[in-house]
Parts: sequence; C-alpha cells; structure tokens
Amino acid sequence: MRRSRRSECWLTLPSLLWLALFFLLPTLMVFSTSFRPADPYGGLGSGWTLETLARLYSPNYPAIIWRTLWLSAVTTLICLLVAVPVAYTLARARQRFKRLLLLLVVLPFWTNFLIRIFAWKVLLHPEGLVKQGLLLLGLVAPEASLMYCEGAVLLVLVYTYLPFAILPVYAAAERFDFGLLEAAQDLGARPWRAFCTVFLPGVRRGLLAAALVVFIPALGSYVIPDIMGGPASEMLGNKIAQRVFVDRNLPQASALSALLTLAVMVPLLLALLLNRKRPEEPVALKEGA
Amino acid sequence: MDDFLLFDRVSKRFDQDWAVRELTLAICQGEVFSLLGPSGCGKTTLLRICAGFEQPDSGRVLLQGRDITALPPHKRPVNTVFQNYALFPHLTLRQNVAFGLKLEKLPRRDIDRQVEAMLELVQLREQGDKKPHQISGGQKQRVAIARALVKRPKVLLLDEPLAALDLKLRKRMLIELDEIHDEVGTTFVYVTHDQSEAMSLSDRLAVMNDGQIEQVGTPVEVYEAPESSFTAAFIGDTNFFEGRVVAQEGDYCRLAIEGLGEVWCYNDRGRRQGELVYLSVRPEKMRLSRQPLELGRNRFSGRVEDKVYLGGESRFWVRVGEYRLAVAVQHSRYLLDQQPLQWGEEVALGWHEDDGYMLQRYAEEHEALLSLPPEDEA
Amino acid sequence: MRRCAAFRLITALCLLFLYLPIVILVVNSFNASRFGSVWGGFSLHWYRALLANERVWQALVNTLLVALVATLVATVLGTLAAFALHRYHSRWQQLHYALVYAPLVVPDVLLGMSLLLLFVHLGVSLGLTTIMLAHTSFCISYVAMVVLARLQDFDFSIIEAAQDLGAGWWTILWRVFLPLLAPGILAGSLLAFTLSLDDFVISFFTAGPGSTTLPIQIYSMMRHGTPPVINALSTLLLVLTFAVVFAVQRLTKGKLQ
Repeated sequence: MRRSRRSECWLTLPSLLWLALFFLLPTLMVFSTSFRPADPYGGLGSGWTLETLARLYSPNYPAIIWRTLWLSAVTTLICLLVAVPVAYTLARARQRFKRLLLLLVVLPFWTNFLIRIFAWKVLLHPEGLVKQGLLLLGLVAPEASLMYCEGAVLLVLVYTYLPFAILPVYAAAERFDFGLLEAAQDLGARPWRAFCTVFLPGVRRGLLAAALVVFIPALGSYVIPDIMGGPASEMLGNKIAQRVFVDRNLPQASALSALLTLAVMVPLLLALLLNRKRPEEPVALKEGA
Repeated sequence: MDDFLLFDRVSKRFDQDWAVRELTLAICQGEVFSLLGPSGCGKTTLLRICAGFEQPDSGRVLLQGRDITALPPHKRPVNTVFQNYALFPHLTLRQNVAFGLKLEKLPRRDIDRQVEAMLELVQLREQGDKKPHQISGGQKQRVAIARALVKRPKVLLLDEPLAALDLKLRKRMLIELDEIHDEVGTTFVYVTHDQSEAMSLSDRLAVMNDGQIEQVGTPVEVYEAPESSFTAAFIGDTNFFEGRVVAQEGDYCRLAIEGLGEVWCYNDRGRRQGELVYLSVRPEKMRLSRQPLELGRNRFSGRVEDKVYLGGESRFWVRVGEYRLAVAVQHSRYLLDQQPLQWGEEVALGWHEDDGYMLQRYAEEHEALLSLPPEDEA
Repeated sequence: MRRCAAFRLITALCLLFLYLPIVILVVNSFNASRFGSVWGGFSLHWYRALLANERVWQALVNTLLVALVATLVATVLGTLAAFALHRYHSRWQQLHYALVYAPLVVPDVLLGMSLLLLFVHLGVSLGLTTIMLAHTSFCISYVAMVVLARLQDFDFSIIEAAQDLGAGWWTILWRVFLPLLAPGILAGSLLAFTLSLDDFVISFFTAGPGSTTLPIQIYSMMRHGTPPVINALSTLLLVLTFAVVFAVQRLTKGKLQ
C-alpha cells in the first residue's frame, strides 16, 4: 500500500540519511583517501596516486599488522579461558550470590576505561607496587621496566576486555540445562569430560559472541598500546593516530585505516557465516517438566 | 537374586527436611520395580541416590553385594532415563545413543552395531541422523531409553519418564516399555506418582510416603491387601470403617461399626474380641440393587445421594446410616437394563465378607487422599 | 564437586584482578605522598588541586554539553530507526539495519578516522560541534538497538484494544504507545549519555583546539606522567558511576522481580 510506503519513508529517512552521511560516506572516504597524495601542510593534495599503498610494504607495517593480529588473538584467548570458569561459577551460583557477583563483574565495565588504564600505569610504574612486589620476590632485576613492552599492553588489553567476554558466556551459561551434565556423567563421562563434550558445545554461541566482542575492538586498540607500550609494541590503532596527529599524513593514515577495516571485516563475516549455518537449532535450553 | 539392589537404612536430608529416612528396600534381579508416591515422598531422591547424584547422609547402597555408595555416577553400572530426557542437543540421535559406548573405548564397529540394534529396538533407526529438536516427545523418550540401555546397565532407573506425554501416548509407551523390558531383561526401577502406570508395568512396587516405605508388594497385594490407610487411599479409592471386634467366628470376625451396624470380615490377622479395627472396602466391591441383595452377609439399605456417569462405569455415593459410601458400578448393559438408579432412590447395598480388608495402620488425614465430592448441604 | 572449587578460585582471582587497580587508585587519591608506592598520610590535597583546576572544569562543562545534545538528537533518530526496523522488512530496512548495526562493531579508531576525513573534505573546522556530530552518530545505534529490543517484547494487542475502544492513532501514540515504550527509550538514551561521557578516541579525532572534553583532558594529563590529581578525579568518577549503577539496580529491582 502506498500509505505504508510513505510512512516507512518518513520513519526510515532521518536515521538512514544521517548514518549514510556520517558513517557510510566517511568509510568510503577512508578508502578513497588512501589513493590521494599527502599535502605538506597536513591536508590532502590533488590528484590520485598509488604511492601511499606502495608505502604499506615498507618494513615497519607488516610487523605492526602482525603484532596487532597476534596481540588481539592472544587477548581473546586469555579472556575466553578466564571467562568460561567465571561464567560457569556465576550460572551455578545460588540466587543471592548471583546478583551480587554479576554486579561485581559488570561494574568495572561501566567505569571510564582511561581511568582503568591509568590505574595500571601507576601499578606498573618503576616505583609502583607491582615492581616492588616482584623485587621482593626476586623475580625481576631493579633496572627492568614493566612498562612500555608488549607484556604491559597485553595485560591491560585483557584487563579492559575481560568483562566484555564474561557477559555473553554467562548469558549462554544461564540458559544451559545443567541436567545434561548429569546425564553425561550417568553415561560414564568423568566430570571434566562431561564439561568439555557437553557444556562447551552447549554455550558455543556465547563463546563466539565473546570472541567477537573482544577480538574486534582489540584489533582497533589505540589508547592502550599508546600509553602502556613503547615504540616496539605499536599496534595499528596508535600507528594510525601517529600518522594523523604527529606526522600529519592523512593518506597514509587512511591506508592503514582501510587495512584495519578489512581486518575487522574478516572475523565479522566469518561469524555471520557460522551463525547462518545453523539458524533453527536452539541452544541447550532447560525443558519444562 | 533377591538382594540384587539393596538400600540399607538410607537417610538423606535437605536443610531441615528428611527426604528419605532409614529406608531399607530390596529389589530383585530382572524385575520391574516401581517407586510410587505423591510428590515430596522421596522417591526421586532415592532414585538419585541410586544413580549417584546424591550422597546419603547415612546408610548404604549395595548392588550385587558390592557397596557402591561412595562411587561417583560415572563409575556405576547404573543408567538413568531422565524426566526431561536430557538429550544432547548438539548431537544427532545416533551420536546421543553412542555417547556412553564411546566412553567405554570399544572398537568403532562394535559401537555402530550396538547403536543400530538399539535404535531398531526403539523403532527410530530411520531418524538416526536427526537432532533432538526435530523429533516429538514420545520419540525423545525412546532415544533416552535407547541411550541408557545400550550400555547394558545392571539397573535402569526411570524418573517419571512419561510425565510429559499426553494420555494416549503414555498408554502406548507403557506397552512399549513392557516389551523392551521383556526383550532386554534388565532390572528396571521406575519412579512415578501415577498409580495406573505403576500398577500396569510393575512386577512389584513400593508405596512411599514422607520419606518412608508404606508397603512393598505386587500390584495385586498392594491393591487388594493394603496395610495402611495411606496405601488404601492413595491407590484407587476406598471406604473406611471404624469398629470393634464383637466376636470371632471361625475364619471371620464380626465387627460392630458405629453408625452402620454389624459387619463380617475375613480375619486373616487373628484379631480378637474387643480390638479396635479399621476396615477398608473398595467401591467396586460393593453391590447396589433395588431388590434386596442375595449374596454376602453385609447387607444394608441406604439412599443415593450423588452419582457420576463415567462411561464405562458409574459412581454412586450412598448414605447408609452415618456413613456416605462410594460405590462403583460397571455398565455391562446400561440402557437395556432396568432404569438407572436416580438421585434420592432407596437402594440395597452390600458386599461379600471376603472383600473387606482390615488395615494395620490408620490415620485420619489419609482420608484427604480420597476423591469424594463435597458433602451436600443437608 | 571438585571442578567447582577450581572454578570458584579462578572467579575469585578474576574479581581480585579486576578490582585491585581500582582500589589502589582510590587509596592513592587520599595519599599525601606524590608516589603511589609510599603512603605519606591521609590528605585531601589532590581533591583541592582538582577542584581548583580551571581546565578540568571547562572540560567537564564541554563533556556534559556534548553528551546532552548528542543524546537528545540520537534518542529521536534512534527511536525512529527502531520503529522503522521493527515495523517494516523491505530491502531498504536490510540496508538500514546494516548501517545501524555496523557502528557497534567497528573499532573507535575507524569511526574517528573516517569522521575526521569527512570533516577535512567538507572543510568543516573542528570544534565542539564536530564532536557533537560524531557522538550523535554512534549513539543512534545504541538507542536504536535498545528500543528495538523493547519493541520486540512489546505486546501489540494493547494497541488493538485501544483501537477497539475507539482511540485514533494520535491518541494511541501519545496516550498508549509512547508511555509504555518510555522506559525503553529512557534506557537507550541513558546508555547513549553514558557512552558519550565516556568516549575518548572518537572525541580525540574530531576535536579542535580549545574544545576539550573530560576524557581528552584526562588523556593529556596521563600521557606524560602520573599526576596524582588524576587519582582524585578518577575516584570521583568511580563514585559517580557506582552510584548510578546502584540507583539503576534499585529502580529495576522492583520492576523486574
């Protein structure tokens, strides 16, 4: 009916136009600017060139790209490894504790992430508590610096994204029918075996969501490697920022951004495909008696 | 073997409540044994103790003489069919059934062979590659049974397996369960609150109430010779009478029942004169007639206060003296017979002296289990 | 069961890990000593220094202004988007959904970078306005998602009942629909507000000289040292956050249970 078409237009156009202008167009611009030369004053020169893209093969970038992928992957792995036991404990907890525990897990999530990074900067400072503690235990030399290295970046990455990982796995664990674990044990599976063959597949949707919600933002981390890492632990995010604010080279920054966009697309599309494969299969829900 | 599965003074407490108290029960090899009782009587707890999901606070569980109380569930040769089936949703039916066998590390070919045989037994071989969410409740039930049986357990535990199915399907599944049992011969322990399931399926059953066993016996024993008012009222319906022994007359005794009169009953308990006695007479044992009755010594006259037509039979509530008695009359011929009995009619009521049964234990609160309509306003 | 104990230990350690830095931060905000590892006595010195800091106040005002404007615009646009997405299922809506969903999964750096390019291309000078435009853009997605979720749970038979009783669409909109949807819209705008207050990366890319928001201010103070004033600022922000979360918990506790 034409009437519904009209009202559809009215409802859709405001947000559609806004997002097209402020999201779609800029994204396309990122790609197009990669083909433009740089202006000495920090703007964009005229004409088109492939030189910017050629620069991507310079020795720095592959290392940075690899490090970004690697750190994001390790962060995701660690976050998942911690999120699963925590989500399990939360889902099995008694009602009274459950609310409290959930609140405790979610609170850091709501605090400003700059503050959380700052807290670690203080802790890992050469004069900070962690260093003093490790010195006492004799685990580290007095001149060693805990800051400005990949380890520090990884630590704060995990710290930042851990609550993001716990929530989706917990949501899936909450809907899991724990009677299935009993059934598995009844059939002869040791508790650990039952956990691996029945619980983990049962919450796989949550695991996938958690992996995505850690991996993708981690790929684009900027502040964390900027503050916690040194020049040897740069990631794509802060390289882009460096090109924009320090070198004032917009085309190169765009090229790197385009690269990052593509890197983000891959896991997203993978996740979409994986979700499409089994659309009707319900997760292991508790059945009514 | 008589003590194939033995519960030896098993007790289990949850917080302040005793779910099961000093319970002793012996189950024979190869039989279908039911645990029957209302919710909260402890039957499921007992089952879970047998499976290993609950540890008793005191007492032991012995299987073929071996103490399995401390064994974790995955080490016991006992398998469970869960009430909600608990099929693994991410595996196909075949993989579900094979799950337990794979853990025994048998060669692949043996596993496949046994799985196919079991699926054949439950008639689901063609659906083997489907996932649980694609099949119906009755089919899920059968897969759950197949999955448990394929491991050849010494005991198969069934926790209200038919509770989620509708009436017709339930009746059909009962027959199938019976056939499966005949086929495999495993000892079944069946938990239910539904008496008709327990009665039709079991070789023997235990009536449970409040963590204790009221009576153990065959369905016939439990129905015809209830030891307590609980058993008499929980299974089927009955009429309770309270009286004193007036005289012993050979195999029978004469009771004086206040508000009714004199009643004769078979004296298999050796009751003596002056003893207080509670009598149970089931509704179908009573006869109603417009003409005076000929058979049996217990004959009274009364008035029909209420009636309900149930298709295959009718139920009457007849006022006799101070008692309101429930009577069940089968209709072998309904319309062609004389006129059916009407409200307010005077009738003759009676029962044979062999059909009453003297109870060992009586408690008035058990009368609440009977299905009597509310008293009419006088 | 044995497994539970190991998992419980991991959970406890995890919580310890999450809260230790925050606790240290709060403690240090009262530390008279400049160095975090040495306790110099209880002092409110840093709080006083914070309150006297002009730039922090200016940044705070800017942040609130941006958040307010962005939230207002985003609430309107996001709610409209949610209505459209819920009601219609044409191909346009599929594109619409992709555009609404994408900003949620794209890293901040990319959003900031692309917006910067847009402004450069259009020749718009960077300032508070560009920050507002940027914030509005990502807030729309959050509002839309929250409202959409509420719409999916909405019982539309109420609307039918209202129609049955003789209400026209204007009445239904203002007297029935919006009042019932209000909590959802409020939740969405609250989320947008919080995210806008919190945002650093996108603001950093789209801010001009003189238009500093609080996160940007914190960042520049943090970049080259660990000034203890940040401890005090952080503690105040933490207290505010905790208070809001507890308040929301209390409000929803009655409603959800």
